[in-house]
Amino acid sequence: MRISRRAFAAAAVAVLLPLSACGSGGEQGGSGDASGKVEGDITFQTWNLRANFKPYFEGLIAEFEKKYPGTDVKWVDQPAEGYADKISADAAGGTLPDVVNVSPDLVAPLAKAGLALDLDKAAPQYRKEYLPGAWDGHRIPGMTGTYAFPWYLNTGPLFYNKTLFRQAGLDPEKPPRTYGELFSAALQLAEKSDGKVATLANVPTIEDFGRYGVPLMNKEGTAFTFDDAKGVELLTEYKKLYDAKALDPQALTATPESSGKKFLTGAVAMNPGSALDLGNFKKQAPSLYKNIGITDQITSTGHVNMYVMGVMVNSQSKRKPAAVAFAHFVTDAAHQMSFAKKVAIFPSTAGSLDDPYFTKEDGTDETRVRVAAAKSLKTAVNYTPVLFSEQMKIALRNEVAKALQGKQSPKEALDNAVKECDRLLKQQG
Amino acid sequence: MALSGTSRVRRQLPTSPWLFAAPGLLVISAFVLYPFVSTVVNSFTDRRTLIPGRFVGLANFRELLHDDMFWTGLRNSTLYVLGVVPLLVVLPLLLALLVQKNIPGIAFFRSAFYTPVVASIVVVGLIWVWLLDERGLVNSLLETVGVGRVGFLSDQWLLLLSAMAVTVWKGLGYYMIIYLAALGNVPRELHEAAAVDGAGAVRRFLTVTVPAVRSTMVLVGALSSVAAFKVFSEVYLLAGPSGGPAGEDTTLVMLVQRTGTGLSGRVGYASALSVVVFVVTVALMLLVLRADRKEDA
Repeated sequence: MRISRRAFAAAAVAVLLPLSACGSGGEQGGSGDASGKVEGDITFQTWNLRANFKPYFEGLIAEFEKKYPGTDVKWVDQPAEGYADKISADAAGGTLPDVVNVSPDLVAPLAKAGLALDLDKAAPQYRKEYLPGAWDGHRIPGMTGTYAFPWYLNTGPLFYNKTLFRQAGLDPEKPPRTYGELFSAALQLAEKSDGKVATLANVPTIEDFGRYGVPLMNKEGTAFTFDDAKGVELLTEYKKLYDAKALDPQALTATPESSGKKFLTGAVAMNPGSALDLGNFKKQAPSLYKNIGITDQITSTGHVNMYVMGVMVNSQSKRKPAAVAFAHFVTDAAHQMSFAKKVAIFPSTAGSLDDPYFTKEDGTDETRVRVAAAKSLKTAVNYTPVLFSEQMKIALRNEVAKALQGKQSPKEALDNAVKECDRLLKQQG
Repeated sequence: MALSGTSRVRRQLPTSPWLFAAPGLLVISAFVLYPFVSTVVNSFTDRRTLIPGRFVGLANFRELLHDDMFWTGLRNSTLYVLGVVPLLVVLPLLLALLVQKNIPGIAFFRSAFYTPVVASIVVVGLIWVWLLDERGLVNSLLETVGVGRVGFLSDQWLLLLSAMAVTVWKGLGYYMIIYLAALGNVPRELHEAAAVDGAGAVRRFLTVTVPAVRSTMVLVGALSSVAAFKVFSEVYLLAGPSGGPAGEDTTLVMLVQRTGTGLSGRVGYASALSVVVFVVTVALMLLVLRADRKEDA
């Protein structure tokens, strides 16, 4: 059976050409005027919410359509995996929905491309309804304006395995509260378990540098600064943990999901989480749940980290009044409160966190975590800079990994990471 | 009647083949040719996901030469070809010889060997991650026999080898089927004559079977080298989105995905990477073809 050159060429073309699918660009611009009658058809896109909250969103949409006759909201939900890619494909193809569920890092490139509506101009009357920090959460360094309504916030405690603490001779009722205590407990756990039990499962991220008190960017938002002495100090401590196996050996390739699984199986003694995780522990690891310890996030700044979710209005929407009205409707105090009672999230509207639901405990772990988180949210910070892209996260992660492996010093690693992130920042424009 | 029928057929001849081919041509033009041309054009621009690019000439290709991650990707993709292709050329042939015999129950083994081919790569990848984890089945067995835990998923080279193992395991059945078809065409008389002349099983394999399926081996070599050079899923699933420890297991296609996707994606640069992958893969195919022709000469 001889194979001709032509047959090979045909096979090559068929096999190789599909490699070449890449996206295409969009256009800048978009009017900021959102005045006019609230009417018409709009599309609302959420981020992996249909599976668990379908009745809530269907009720919300029906309520909006009843309040504003002549409107019709089409709800689409996208899976968590590849959400940014879906938005970028829609944005590039000119099919971005009118109202989109976003996080601050997703808003930044959309705002720069002129696709996110500036709410300081289009809807300034709503600003006072939200916590000031939350409203500012969707500001972009180097630009004026706010580019999404604040939606729900989240933060969480640090969970720890009391059994593993006890086995290592640590007092399970006195978990570490400072970085110094954390590092010392981690080394003890590794030593007593002969390197079989790590305390942490993930390499330090930009958020960890922020919580440690490292300045992440300059005031103008034009350059990263996390390679200062404080940053080097944190990475040096992590290197000691890695060498002692107090930081899991697979941390260099870990994801939040894999770290969570390691905590569930008792391979790792501590893991950050949220009130949502308690349900998982109960269901998936009942023996762990009986021995679960809950303590506050460790910070050197006094401010815990929070995650901010927002609702953006597409500046190219043909139904801007309806889109703005709906985005506000989804995120107003009443609806955020009712959503918060369905799932362990926290409203970003002013005064909502003073509701007894967030201030009174009933003796269960769930309410204890909820009340503590709500209290800490009042001064919480979203440490991840909005301009910190996925590529930058990978650049930092790879340089940190080289330092942990001893291929370069912590100082060299952070200098390289800052250099690469600055380069990517410049390319973002 | 016959004459008018013939003339009708003649009149239709110039256009009708194109009409038959039109649906296929349309699909290929839309989903293969257009993206390909678009990628080549983009590779000379600084286009980003949301921002149309400007023509930058060869700047992207010049940048490639100074990008450490590009060289890491090229190294890993090349190692993947060198590690995987010989195994995928030889092992499926041996497997095909095993299951070629018509003995009771052989259909079960043929199906069993083919099962990994139809299994979802994501499911397969996750199962292998569980198996090779520090606390997974493989490490538990190694610990039981006194070897101790091995960092299959934390060591740069072991990770790459593990991904190669998954690729080989998953590809065995597919290439085995190709070899089975080729082995069916090997005349039984040749084996019988060799046996009569006193050739043992190994000698018959080397002097009868291998020459008879040599062209198929070349085909398998070409197909598997293209697939190996473009590897993505296995390494992505085992090493994670960052490409293993410090990104040291990143392959070229992973780099294309990482660079070109997302809201801040560098479409122009990723396109330049894609063009390089295309050129190298075509070169690989031509190399295999050339080797085949030399053997024939």
